[in-house]
Amino acid sequence: MIYFRNVSKFYPTRNGRAYVFKNINFDLPMIHNVGILGPNGAGKSTLIRMIGGADTPTRGSIDSKLRISWPLGLQGGLQGSMSGRENARFVAKINGVRDTSDIEEMVSEFASIGQYFDEPVRTYSSGMKSRVAFGLSLAFDFDVLLIDEVTSVGDASFRNKSHAALQSIRETTHIIMVSHEMSQLQEFCDAGIVIKKQSFVFHPCIQDAIQDYQETYVKRKR
Amino acid sequence: MQDTVSALLARELKTRFGSKKLGYFWALTEPVLQASVIAIVFTILGRASLSGAPVALFILLGILPFRGFTKVSIQLATAIKANKALFSYRQVSPIDPFVTRFLIETATYTCVYFLLLGILAWLDFSVMPEKPLEFIFINITMLIMAGGFGLILCSAIVFYEDASRVIGLVMQPFFFISGVFFVMPMIPVKYWSYLTWNPLLHLTELSRDAMFSSYQTPVGEWSYLLFIVVCLWALGLSLYWVNRQRFLAA
Repeated sequence: MIYFRNVSKFYPTRNGRAYVFKNINFDLPMIHNVGILGPNGAGKSTLIRMIGGADTPTRGSIDSKLRISWPLGLQGGLQGSMSGRENARFVAKINGVRDTSDIEEMVSEFASIGQYFDEPVRTYSSGMKSRVAFGLSLAFDFDVLLIDEVTSVGDASFRNKSHAALQSIRETTHIIMVSHEMSQLQEFCDAGIVIKKQSFVFHPCIQDAIQDYQETYVKRKR
Repeated sequence: MQDTVSALLARELKTRFGSKKLGYFWALTEPVLQASVIAIVFTILGRASLSGAPVALFILLGILPFRGFTKVSIQLATAIKANKALFSYRQVSPIDPFVTRFLIETATYTCVYFLLLGILAWLDFSVMPEKPLEFIFINITMLIMAGGFGLILCSAIVFYEDASRVIGLVMQPFFFISGVFFVMPMIPVKYWSYLTWNPLLHLTELSRDAMFSSYQTPVGEWSYLLFIVVCLWALGLSLYWVNRQRFLAA
C-alpha cells in the first residue's frame, strides 16, 4: 500500500498558486502493476517523483512501508560529472552497501556500453543514460519500481533486454509506470491511474483506465 | 545520513581534487603560494616587522582567516546546486552535500594552516600562538560564520544563478578593508567606527591578538562576531526551510 494523505502539490506562479494536485486521499494497493496516464503537463512525472521521494508534496504526506525505487527517468538520477561506474558506486553506498564491486559489475554488464562506463555521464547519449539508469535500478531488490518513460528511448536490443528484465522481476517487484505508449502499458500493467482535475482516478483494470483516458482527453478534442 | 555523507565525500573529493593530476597537491599549494608571495613582497618592501611581529607571520594571520572565509562560503554556495541530480534518491536531501562540502573545506583549511605554520617553523619563526585556545576558537568561528553565509548563498543561487560571481566581486574590496595588510592602530581613530562594522575585520584582529604577545587588538570583539554568526545562521536556516521545495525541483 502507498498511502496518500491530504496530498497537495502546487507551484507558485505569477497568477497565484498553480495546483497540480489538490487534497488527494487515497490508499494505492500495490498488488498491481500500475500505469499512469494523463496528457503532457498533467503531473504524471510529479506524481511518480513524489512517490519516489525525489520531490515532496507541498501539503500532506505520501507514506509506504514498501521499498520503493527512485523514479527512473530521463533526467535526474545520474550525476553528469561522475562516470557510470561512480554513479553506481554512489547509489550502492547510499543504500548501505559496503562492497560495491558486485553492483558495479552487474550494472556494467546490463548496460553493456563498454569503456564508456568509466567516462562521465554527461558525455552519454540519452539511450546510454537510460541503459545505466535501468541497470542500476535492477541491481537492488525493490518492492516497487518507478519507471518514468525510461525504456522508450532505447534501441531494439535494449528494449528487448529491459522487457525481459521487467518480465523476470514481475514475481517479486511491482512497477508503477508512466508511458504514452498504450501497447507498453497493456503489456506491463494490469491497473491504471488517470490524472484529471488535480486528482487521479484509480482503475483496477488497465483497459478501463485507457478507455477513461481516451474519453477524457482524446475524444473531447475532436 | 552517514552513508549518504560518506558517499558524497567520495564523489566531491573526486570532482574537486581528483579530476586533475596532482589535484590534492594544488589544493594545498595554491593558498600556500599566495600567502608566500604576499609575505615575500612585504619583506622585500623593507618591513621586517609589523606591530612587533615578523611580517610573513603577521600577513599570514590576516590572510588565512580572510581567504578561508571567502573560499569556504563560495564553495558552499554551489554545494546544493551542483548535486541536484542526486536528490532523485530519497536518501539524499539538500543539506547533505552542504554538510559534505563543509567537512571537506574545514579539513582543507586546517591542512593548509598547519602546512604554512610548519613551513614557517622550519624557517625558524616562532609559530606557537600566545593564546592557543583563542587561536583555535577564532578559526572555528570563522568556519561557522562562513557556513552560515554559504547557506544563505545556496538559497540566493536558486533565484539568481550568478550570485556566486557577484559575491566574488563584492568580496574583492573587502580584501583591503578587513585588516589583511594592516592592524587598527595604523588607522586614524576617526575611521574606526566605519571599519568595525565589518565582521571580517574582527576575525583578522582577533586572530592576531591570539597569536602575538606583542599585539593587543583595540577593536576586535567576540560578542560582535558571535552576534553575526547567530544572525547568519538564523537567516540561512530560514531561507533553507522556505526554499526546501525549490532545491528539489528538477
